Amino acid sequence: MRNQIAKVGVLFALLPLWAAVAQADPLLDDADWLRTMAFAAHETNYSGVFVYQAGGRVETSRITHVVDEHGEHERLQGLDGQRREVIRNNDQVWLQLGDKKVHFEQQRPRRAFPALLPEQIQSLKENYNVIQQEEDRVADYHAHTLLLQPKDTLRYTRKMWAHSESGLLLKAAVLDERGKVIEQYAFTQLQIGGEIECKWAVPSAEDAARLARRKHLSPLPNNNLANVSSGWQVDGVPPGFKKILEMSRNMRDKKFPVVHIVYSDGLAALSVFVERATDADGYSAGLKSQGAVHIYSRLSGDHLVTVVGELPPRAVIQVADSVRYAGDKDE
Amino acid sequence: MKREISVLMDGEMFEDEADVLLDKLKRHPEADRDWAAYHLIGDALRQPEHVTSDFMAAFHERLQNEPVILAPRRRQQQRIKQYALSAAASVMALALVAWLSMQVGQEPPPQMASVQEPNMVRPVAFHASDYLMAHQEFSPSADMQGAATYIHSVAAK
Repeated sequence: MRNQIAKVGVLFALLPLWAAVAQADPLLDDADWLRTMAFAAHETNYSGVFVYQAGGRVETSRITHVVDEHGEHERLQGLDGQRREVIRNNDQVWLQLGDKKVHFEQQRPRRAFPALLPEQIQSLKENYNVIQQEEDRVADYHAHTLLLQPKDTLRYTRKMWAHSESGLLLKAAVLDERGKVIEQYAFTQLQIGGEIECKWAVPSAEDAARLARRKHLSPLPNNNLANVSSGWQVDGVPPGFKKILEMSRNMRDKKFPVVHIVYSDGLAALSVFVERATDADGYSAGLKSQGAVHIYSRLSGDHLVTVVGELPPRAVIQVADSVRYAGDKDE
Repeated sequence: MKREISVLMDGEMFEDEADVLLDKLKRHPEADRDWAAYHLIGDALRQPEHVTSDFMAAFHERLQNEPVILAPRRRQQQRIKQYALSAAASVMALALVAWLSMQVGQEPPPQMASVQEPNMVRPVAFHASDYLMAHQEFSPSADMQGAATYIHSVAAK
């Protein structure tokens, strides 16, 4: 409880204006809602059960998020079927599927605050109509509803239900241009603040040992986040998408660094990965999907191009088909 | 025929008569509706709380929505195929296979480009989670959703 009070204190100290507006929420502007939601996702302690539905499948997961003096910790546990779990401690992520456990190192240290930059909000408003809709109730919490309607058919519509007090996202749906739900998730039970069990947030001895071994081998390549030109050209990016960064990064089980170019329209992101294709890679070309996220791979000469995005399949394919090598312009 | 169906369902028909009727039903698909309707009536009389009038329609829809596995050709498999053939076939056949594989090329089959419906697409495989994880680090919507975004990496296959 004291922690919660401290948190609220921090919120007020950091954002006097904003927090004041949050109290008088009918006046809250759309962009403020988006910023509040991004802030709440990182700064709120919560634990609950949510239902995820995509492509005719429904599943339940437990989600826990805790912020303490060591940073941000979150855990997602699948409650149906085989064991599925993700644990994130700041920039370290463990993914467990069945007996297989994989460790990821996030390239971008989470930005502390604000989570959404002003230019992102601006670009979002250029590409989507942001409409505040009727107030609603989700998991017994009062919620404000925000509809983000794209101005073309190359991106999805999103509807978001945010907790009226904290801004925490309680429910979210992704819809196609005909209004069909592509995926949605909603909390069915949720505790915001208070005592939250977080023993899992301490890495296991095994994980800690693995980290200690790895740390000196692969420091976070923050310097790679600078704009580098890989010579790869992507012409088919839908209008409104701007390049956020281009880098060369190491990925698990890959012998050679992978070029990663990220585009965003302020809400959806588009990643283009280009890597040297070797016979041993066991890659598979074609389209795969998980809810609203689509992955499309294809070979371009000796290289494998993979595009990932929360965009309709045709947009993802269009982007992948347009990737070509234009040579080192800098040289 | 409706009366006969009703008699058959009530178990009041002789075996040879039943055979004749079942044959008839096979030849007249439109009688399926009567068959289903009589069963529905029977079900409704016995346990009205479990009645589903559109079972076939629902089943048909679910079948339509089953993911279609679009397994693209892999380079390696192609090569194995070539070796197998070269062992058995003449030099001419080998040349033909080589020519054909050049024509086919390394591109994914063209039907990929026309795939529009997300539910017709293969679920994400394990190694795809590497790309997903890398992608999520920079997605603004992931920023707003927090840990819920990881559902894409761990959702049941």
